[in-house]
Amino acid sequence: MRKIAVVYGGSSQHHRTYKTSEFAKHFHQLIPIRELAEASFEDIDVLLIPSQTHLGLLKENVEKIHAYADNGGIVVTFGPQGFDWLPKHDWEFRITNFWWWLEKDAKSGLVLTGENHDLFQNYLTLSDATWHQHGVYWPPEGSEVLVATEDGGAVFYIDKVSSKGTWINTTLDPDFHYGSYFMPATERFLRGFLPWLEEGKI
Amino acid sequence: MTIQFISLNAGGVFAQTRLENQDSTGFTHVDIYELPYTDLTPYACLVIGGMCDQDFLFEHKEIISSFLDEGKIVVFSGNLVTDWLPGGRPFVPKEIKSFQDYAVKIESNHPIFEGVLEDDMTFNKGVAGFFARGHHPLPEGAEVLLTLDGKEPITYIDRQSTNGTILVHVGFDLFGYMGSNDLEKTTSRISPQLKQWVEEEYSKTIQGVQS
Repeated sequence: MRKIAVVYGGSSQHHRTYKTSEFAKHFHQLIPIRELAEASFEDIDVLLIPSQTHLGLLKENVEKIHAYADNGGIVVTFGPQGFDWLPKHDWEFRITNFWWWLEKDAKSGLVLTGENHDLFQNYLTLSDATWHQHGVYWPPEGSEVLVATEDGGAVFYIDKVSSKGTWINTTLDPDFHYGSYFMPATERFLRGFLPWLEEGKI
Repeated sequence: MTIQFISLNAGGVFAQTRLENQDSTGFTHVDIYELPYTDLTPYACLVIGGMCDQDFLFEHKEIISSFLDEGKIVVFSGNLVTDWLPGGRPFVPKEIKSFQDYAVKIESNHPIFEGVLEDDMTFNKGVAGFFARGHHPLPEGAEVLLTLDGKEPITYIDRQSTNGTILVHVGFDLFGYMGSNDLEKTTSRISPQLKQWVEEEYSKTIQGVQS
């Protein structure tokens, strides 16, 4: 079982999702973001950077996080990002339509491109990963895009080419909305995604 | 009376976006982690949201209680999850059985919500539940302004826990309705009326502390 550490920001949303909810048991370690610069990653297999992480403190630790991936670590990021710091991710901001599901014949605009991947074979369905998006990534060649928009922008991808380790990046923000007591899909996403991170085929 | 507001910036993406879009007249924004190094003397009102690091606020709770004991005002919007606010109790989520459970009701007429329709607070594009998803149990003597469906208090004023005044709202930033893109809705009245109320409240509490 992989040991997951999360960079903990102390907001009410992080408090619920990472500390007190049914999902807390998946986290081996909460690293307070103020202690990130001194934290050791030796004992962990996965480092998760949540949505709405403090941008100033994140900036100060970008090199450290990249070094962790370059040494073979797995880094997971939830979106949206406040500045460009993921390897070659080529972020494209798009105006968020929070209300797509109210429209007639509502279509989220999402396409499952990773239907054969372990994550979508055994842990998640596309509807579990379907709510609004804040933008898309255009990841480097050789990355595996699991969820995309109809025009091919990546909403969820795995990048094993930019480092010796693995970057799992999504524009989705399940932790923020679950932590705000919003949107049941985000709960289903975390129920599948976190067990996969612990024991699935990455 | 013109007073100065200081607002703590939680530092994430949403906080940045909010800063860019908000009418900030009279507001100074500082990063949450700058609080211990900030001279609060010029400010009458401290504005804090639930997206701030509440472990950090807990470590520095004396700054907030001292500020209040000078007769000043704290406006908090969000869910309380640590024990940093005088009189504050942990957020209790509401078990929802129907959308009616999210109906916002005005408990007592108050200048902050004057002319604001309950339905405009309850519904956003026909969807209920954006305004509040639970409540904070009340400190003794608190004045309740809004409830969920006449039951749980979602917005209260506490003048007893300190020499100052604390306003606690369980939902999004009540000052976030400034520059709101829903200007046709009555909720656009909330932020300017709140600002006005803080100014009047401060002139009363400061007289009480000085006399």
